Amino acid sequence: MTPVVSVDALTKRYGPRLAVDAVSFDVGRNEVLGLLGPNGSGKSTILRILTGYLRPTAGTARIAGFDVAKSGLDARRCVGYVPEDIPLYPTMEVGEFLQFMGQLKGLAGAGLRRAVDDAVERMSLSSVRSLLIAKLSRGFRQRVAIAQALLASPVLLVLDEPTNGLDPRQIIEIREMIRTLAQSHSVLVTSHILGEIEKVAHRAAILLDGRLLSVESLDPMGEQARLRVCVQGSSAQQAQQIIASQPGVTGVRQEADGTPGHFTFILKLPRPELAAGIVTALVSSGFGVSEVAAASTDLEARFLQITTGKGSV
Amino acid sequence: MSSFWPLLRKEIRALFSSPIAYVLIAVFLLVMGFSFAATLFLTKDATLIQMFFQASVLFLLIVPVITMRLFAEERRNGTLELLLTSPVRELEIVLAKYLASLSVIVAMLAPTLTYAVILVLYSNPDLGPVYSGYVGLLLLASGLLAVGLAVSAFTANQIVAATVSLGIFLALWMVDSLGSLLPDPFDQIVLNASLLAHFTPFATGALYLSDLGFFLALTLLGLFLSVRALERR
Repeated sequence: MTPVVSVDALTKRYGPRLAVDAVSFDVGRNEVLGLLGPNGSGKSTILRILTGYLRPTAGTARIAGFDVAKSGLDARRCVGYVPEDIPLYPTMEVGEFLQFMGQLKGLAGAGLRRAVDDAVERMSLSSVRSLLIAKLSRGFRQRVAIAQALLASPVLLVLDEPTNGLDPRQIIEIREMIRTLAQSHSVLVTSHILGEIEKVAHRAAILLDGRLLSVESLDPMGEQARLRVCVQGSSAQQAQQIIASQPGVTGVRQEADGTPGHFTFILKLPRPELAAGIVTALVSSGFGVSEVAAASTDLEARFLQITTGKGSV
Repeated sequence: MSSFWPLLRKEIRALFSSPIAYVLIAVFLLVMGFSFAATLFLTKDATLIQMFFQASVLFLLIVPVITMRLFAEERRNGTLELLLTSPVRELEIVLAKYLASLSVIVAMLAPTLTYAVILVLYSNPDLGPVYSGYVGLLLLASGLLAVGLAVSAFTANQIVAATVSLGIFLALWMVDSLGSLLPDPFDQIVLNASLLAHFTPFATGALYLSDLGFFLALTLLGLFLSVRALERR
């Protein structure tokens, strides 16, 4: 199947500075691809090229088969874009703004009214529809920005740091929203927070200094709790067997850098509360447990490994 | 061009929803009213020539204030990114902003038509210079707005946009005084770039195609540079 987004050796220079260095990746239909990297790694530049705001210095980027440089207008018709700083017109009312953006996307008449009503409903904006955008909270402004991106049913949604500046409740809402949107759209989302990408994306493209270092398929079990357990005793093998035999444990591995008599295990559980049973089992078998804590995720470990050059890509 | 009309409506609303347009129109009409009354009572001539020249000088000062925010503000607020990533042509965005700002000038000039009506009611003025004067003012404003728009498209800072526009306008206004000091053929070249030299025939009732062509060319150049500034990204 033809990918919705196809990026090939995409390069962008700002004068002497290379912001994006021959990046290539694809995004499939109804796939969520996360662009992950520290600030200044080129994530937003890639999105701005894909959405037609910037021109590439070299390489190609296609959306639904349209080259963003040569067939920009057609490519832009296929994209709904939410920029990082949520730029909106503060003197417009929410409904008026959505109508204006719908008209820019070529909608008119009954189709425009239907699209605006649908976007208002999907983003739960009914209560603020007649309010000025200047009076909205950041969370609502983010919803308005996503609502305008959904108008005209684009095949690709591009979300630049969608959870920036939101409170924890709003972050969870936006995360749920992205998961729902992925059922009917392909989604390209950036973040410098690994946990955000891991929770919503099917794959993560790791960027550093404008280069694409790796594209990681994310663990479908990524929603499980990951715990780090420090155990004291005589046999690491026996401790691992005890942990692995406890109900709910779906994986356990020993960390390599333990000292004699002290072992550290990383294990996966459907719920963190199950850790109490593991501690009881270890203690009743004569082991000491000095620490039980949340462990870094697979993606975090992989990201650190790749970006610090400790592992091969 | 389906996006043009919503863009134009948005621009007109943005211009007329801020107090800037009303303050500019009010100040312009106050100065023009005073100038018209004073000229009429002092000279007893049924003519608007003095008013046209004063309006043209006021345009040099007013147009940078109108155009400085057109692109610079959108660039600063990030909304230009929203526009340029929508399926809209750069030309549509530029034309919408240009015509919206021209509507402020029209709103500014329209009430001054009462001066002409007063002259017709109480005297027997030569209407030729009145018609050509208004055409000249519209053409002058059109050229200035297009150049101001282009300057605004190249910068994110409104003060920089206004200052650079004002500098260009004043230079083009006064360039003919420099032209007379230059040897042939440079004097003619410089004179042909003068706003004043091309506006004077309109204000005094003479219509030349070369003057019309100058202001149209200036307008097209400004619009072209604005589109190029948006494409340069």
